Amino acid sequence: MTEAAEKEKYGKGVGFERIRRITGYLVGSLEKFNDAKRKEESERVKHIDLNKDSDENIGNYR
Amino acid sequence: MIEYIVKRDGRKEAFDDYKIYDAMHSAYIASGSRDKKLTRWVVNRVVETLESRCGDSLPTVEMTQDVVEESLIKAGYVHTAKAYILYRDKRTHERERQSALMKTIHDITFQDAKDNDLKRENANINSDSSMGMMLKFGSETSKSFFLNSIAREDVSRAHRDGYIPIHDMDFAAIGTTTCTQIPIDKLFTRGFSTGNGYLREPQSINTAAALTAIIIQSNQNEQHGGQSIPLFDYYLAPYVARSYAKRICEVASILKPETDAAGLRKKLRAIYDEKGTLLGEKDSVFALLEELSIDKKTAEYIVGRAAALIKKDTYQAMEGLIHNLNTLSSRAGAQVPFSSINFGTDTTEEGRMVTENLLLATEAGMGYGETPIFPVSIFKVKSGINLNEGDPNHDLFRLACRCSAKRLFPNFSFIDAPFNLSFYKEGMPETEVGYMGCRTRVLADVNGDQVTPGRGNLSFTSINLPRLAIEADGDIDRFYESLDSYMELVVRQLLDRFVFQCKKRMKNFPFMIGQATWNHAEELVADDTLESVLKHGTLSIGFIGLAEALVALIGRHHGESAEAQALGLEIVRRMRAFCDAKTKEYSLNFTLLATPAEGLSGRFIRIDKKRFGEIKGVTDRDYYTNSFHVPVYYQISPFKKIDTEAPYHELTNAGHISYVEVDGDPLQNLEAFEAIIRHMAKKGIGYGSINHPVDRDPVCGYVGIINDVCPRCGRKEGEPLSPEKYAELKEIYHLK
Repeated sequence: MTEAAEKEKYGKGVGFERIRRITGYLVGSLEKFNDAKRKEESERVKHIDLNKDSDENIGNYR
Repeated sequence: MIEYIVKRDGRKEAFDDYKIYDAMHSAYIASGSRDKKLTRWVVNRVVETLESRCGDSLPTVEMTQDVVEESLIKAGYVHTAKAYILYRDKRTHERERQSALMKTIHDITFQDAKDNDLKRENANINSDSSMGMMLKFGSETSKSFFLNSIAREDVSRAHRDGYIPIHDMDFAAIGTTTCTQIPIDKLFTRGFSTGNGYLREPQSINTAAALTAIIIQSNQNEQHGGQSIPLFDYYLAPYVARSYAKRICEVASILKPETDAAGLRKKLRAIYDEKGTLLGEKDSVFALLEELSIDKKTAEYIVGRAAALIKKDTYQAMEGLIHNLNTLSSRAGAQVPFSSINFGTDTTEEGRMVTENLLLATEAGMGYGETPIFPVSIFKVKSGINLNEGDPNHDLFRLACRCSAKRLFPNFSFIDAPFNLSFYKEGMPETEVGYMGCRTRVLADVNGDQVTPGRGNLSFTSINLPRLAIEADGDIDRFYESLDSYMELVVRQLLDRFVFQCKKRMKNFPFMIGQATWNHAEELVADDTLESVLKHGTLSIGFIGLAEALVALIGRHHGESAEAQALGLEIVRRMRAFCDAKTKEYSLNFTLLATPAEGLSGRFIRIDKKRFGEIKGVTDRDYYTNSFHVPVYYQISPFKKIDTEAPYHELTNAGHISYVEVDGDPLQNLEAFEAIIRHMAKKGIGYGSINHPVDRDPVCGYVGIINDVCPRCGRKEGEPLSPEKYAELKEIYHLK
């Protein structure tokens, strides 16, 4: 293994993968999106936080 | 005396006055020869004028053409001059088009995908790979050819000007169709050929799963969209039973070597054929074993052992399928097939085993724990089958929620949505709605049976609603008038494309038609054209940016005002009624699509921004909102979003999808996750999904939410671990 490959194995220069769904499909990383869709993804707001204040919210619909 | 002329590209060439005569003569002919006979004399006037104007410098092609025009007019050749000017103009346009195409190809060649938006038009095609680039060359050239040489002038103009995006236009001149809901059961039982040799019916779940991938791959190479399996659990169930029978015979032969394994297998298969399940017919199996004078205790061991083995077999088969669908190349290696799998309603033990293990294998992920990108798995929700406590597949519904909360898949489709339920016939799974992963839905058929399998979409073209709305300037009637006229134009374009597609023959689609993945294809012979098959497909009118169109018309979108919602529904209802009328008129399936528009939304808003400037809430973003969605940047509760979007599902019979975006880790609150899915079911959503962050650290393999620091290994993006820490993690996890 070259030195660079060794470093990469430990994570030097290696980013996190962020998988997102768009048009029904998943895409393995945001870099593959075209500019418009990348922007769309970045502007998406979350409709609810399932780990926080959601219980009373959800409760109304049970 | 002129010796040389300077060409457009700057090169010098020997001057030949015969070329001038030639061009003038062509114009003379083109004018219908209405002028007096053209003579050498006019050519000589051109040369003289050039000589006097140029002095010592060289004449250029442009200058020469100017002088030709002048001289023709002066000499009284009015018609010829007019023809010459037209001809010159046309050539200029062609040159411009060609140079635009050459510029595009230049950029494909010398820019990486990260710098070239065009190369990322479709996120699942790798346009940096060699064959991906080759495809891109072909795609851009083919688009240009279609617009300039095949499409009607008004269609080309409407596409170029950004009124009607023609989707998959690079394939319009090839005559391919979009997608298929493949009835793999027919291919399995008949056997099939992929070109080099014939594949017989599979005899095990493992082989059936492997062949599924091959069928998807083969069909994908003959279409421009994706491939879907509409009834995956029903289709694979018989092969679970065959593997199970095999396992029973194997174990029995080990314990009792004198067993007639072949005879036993035949009898086991007969049970399946009669009862529709083998796993669910334990008593019949025991009776058979007793006939072979196998004692009760041994028989119990055999059945138990075989049951454990078949579970493992099925899991491995599903794992293999997922791996195959993420690694198989299609279309010259530029992409894996766009595959989708619908399942969840088969309540036999065998069908349940397929669903369960497909979900478990999806949950487990790929080799290093990666989230599988394909297949798009779609869990079919139906009350009485899986939605409610006590339903036979309720456990699988809950498992589907858990899996989706971790892996984003499955998506959920809803058979109980009234517009899906009206087709549903109990005991006829082919009447269950199936979706293509992207959202396409095919069910009604004006020319035959109302079923999902063996059909697909032929092509679709969308309408840029915000453009029409901006141009209408707040006048709804004017908006409707232009909407109607563009829908007419789209219908004409779809029909032209349909006629072109129908002229193809079996040899053009040796798998799709030759092996009959479409219904009625088996009735064709080699030289038949395809109309009798393709008339069962759908021709779809789509739309993008309902939200922006509403803002342009009345200042608010449908997520924020009841008035806008009412108008939005009125617009989409009008579009649907238009499609229904065309279906009647032409006896072809015109349907309305909620367009995904991944590659287009950016292009259209750029054109409109340039033309109309930045209009707040309309052209001030970098993308138009997907179909009827509430804009992604608008804060709204998940339930309100579902309530707002659900009525559009009913209207968009060519397909639709709604998303809810959630924050946090849904695995920690599965009850809430399920509540959202249930709300979709209740409100008549046809196809929906919950989006949540799924991140992964490729170094330690952690999958979940990663903000700045990986919760498992503690590293930040781009930072390395120490070799000691890495070794420590490697002890615990399966690392590279």
